[in-house]
Amino acid sequence: MPKRWEVYPGKSQVLFSGRCISAKNLSVFYLTLALIVISSCLFLAFDCRLLAVTLSPSVPVLAAVQFIFVLCCLLRTTFSDPGIIPRGTPDEAAWIESQLEGPQVDRDGNYRPPVRLKDVQISGRVFKLKYCFTCKLWRPPRASHCSTCDNCVDRFDHHCPWVGNCVGRRNYRYFYLFLISLSVYCLYVMVFGIVNLVLLSNMRKDFLMAMKESPTSVLTILVAFFSIWSVVGLGGFHTMLICRETSTNEDIKGSFNQRRHPDLINPFDQGNGLANCCYVLFGPVTPSLLNFREDEIGLGSSISLVTNNGRNGTASAAAASTAVTATPAVRYSNLTRNNNDATSNSVGHVNNSVQVISESLPAQLPGDGNDVIVKNGNGTPADGVISGGTDTVGAQNSNTQSASSVHCIV
Amino acid sequence: MGSRPAAQVGHSRKVYIQRDYSQGLGLRYSTAMPPQLQDRMPEDLFEAAIVNINQILAGAENGSVGVYAESCFACLTGYLIYMCMDTHYERSLKEVRKLIEEYNRTVFMPRRLMMIDPSERGLRVIEVVLLS
Repeated sequence: MPKRWEVYPGKSQVLFSGRCISAKNLSVFYLTLALIVISSCLFLAFDCRLLAVTLSPSVPVLAAVQFIFVLCCLLRTTFSDPGIIPRGTPDEAAWIESQLEGPQVDRDGNYRPPVRLKDVQISGRVFKLKYCFTCKLWRPPRASHCSTCDNCVDRFDHHCPWVGNCVGRRNYRYFYLFLISLSVYCLYVMVFGIVNLVLLSNMRKDFLMAMKESPTSVLTILVAFFSIWSVVGLGGFHTMLICRETSTNEDIKGSFNQRRHPDLINPFDQGNGLANCCYVLFGPVTPSLLNFREDEIGLGSSISLVTNNGRNGTASAAAASTAVTATPAVRYSNLTRNNNDATSNSVGHVNNSVQVISESLPAQLPGDGNDVIVKNGNGTPADGVISGGTDTVGAQNSNTQSASSVHCIV
Repeated sequence: MGSRPAAQVGHSRKVYIQRDYSQGLGLRYSTAMPPQLQDRMPEDLFEAAIVNINQILAGAENGSVGVYAESCFACLTGYLIYMCMDTHYERSLKEVRKLIEEYNRTVFMPRRLMMIDPSERGLRVIEVVLLS
């Protein structure tokens, strides 16, 4: 059985057997990595020799710590799932597309393409949801389809070639941390590179001589200087975006540009820059929805079942669905309600969780006075009767006394 | 494209409950019952089940002090702490999975229906399979 990463249909690159995902073309990312690593190594190897002795050994230590932090943020941004929304299954696509209006010809004989927009109103602002024909799903309001990676990404910010991945909801905080930490680190390297040259020129009484003696300092200073303009600029831009709870994509499209249209309010803005910052940088993060390491259970017919000891993993679902094709009886033996089963610890578990249901579902199930009778495979009613009537749902424990296997043909 | 397994169900025997964005971007599914289910279960029961699921999911996406504190702490540990524990979101999704399994066992299966956990569908839809 193939794993989900093996059948992934997009253009992103899946690495390490489904543990990481990035853009296909990483050449600019390698450039970024090379610039950071080479400059840092030159700085630590050459400049820090004098600085550690003259100023303090904490200078190279701090530089090393920052270097590691910058690398971690960069690698995390590059190789984590930006918030890719997995493509819809063929059944879902058929369901949705059957409900879309087809292509039509109006009175003037003009062709109108199929309507694939629907309006949704969020806090007084109307958003047009688009149906993505590539991904077979209704795109959430802030999601966008990245043509480079051929995925819909939730809260799509932009596709960054320097980082080698899309920046979206899940990895935006790492991207921002990367920008801020790199800005600070560039400044640090530039300042201490200049300090190193100044100290050296004081010792040699000649600035040009100092530069000749330590050419790597000149190189690192230049690299840091030219990087600062772009990195600090981008960091400042993203700080502003975060405070306004907007993404780069929305900023470019002018989705929330109230200066042009006063009714383009941003319903996601919490009104306060600090609150927005907290939510974007420290708020809850969706787990990766791709689930690459799990089995691809053929064409979207994965089924979650309760097994005897309440295991929830999709491994049990995989086993269950393969059993579906083989013997329906085997599949549903898991559902036997045998209260005498001493080895099963599910009864205790069942009781606890059924309590949850009986508290949360209304005690009276209105309009449902009918008992649902469970039939055995040969058509005779099973011994137990699951009552959907005046009893609470939790009370059905007492009704199904003997083992009753349910045969359902899918 | 290879043979489909015998258990494959055509789309007419599955219904899909879409996301409801009217209250914002939070995880929420529409409580409107699809007409195909009308002869199998009462509308209020279905709505109550979806409302319960939505309640747990609402907790997943709201930023509260506890969630921020957990994120800050995780940031300070270099996010290594997530090798030992689940995020708040993952815990909420696991609760939903457990709830749906209980619903399947007690409410849906007896009515020849099965609800598929939305996590299996990338949180796009809740799939309900009409069993025969």
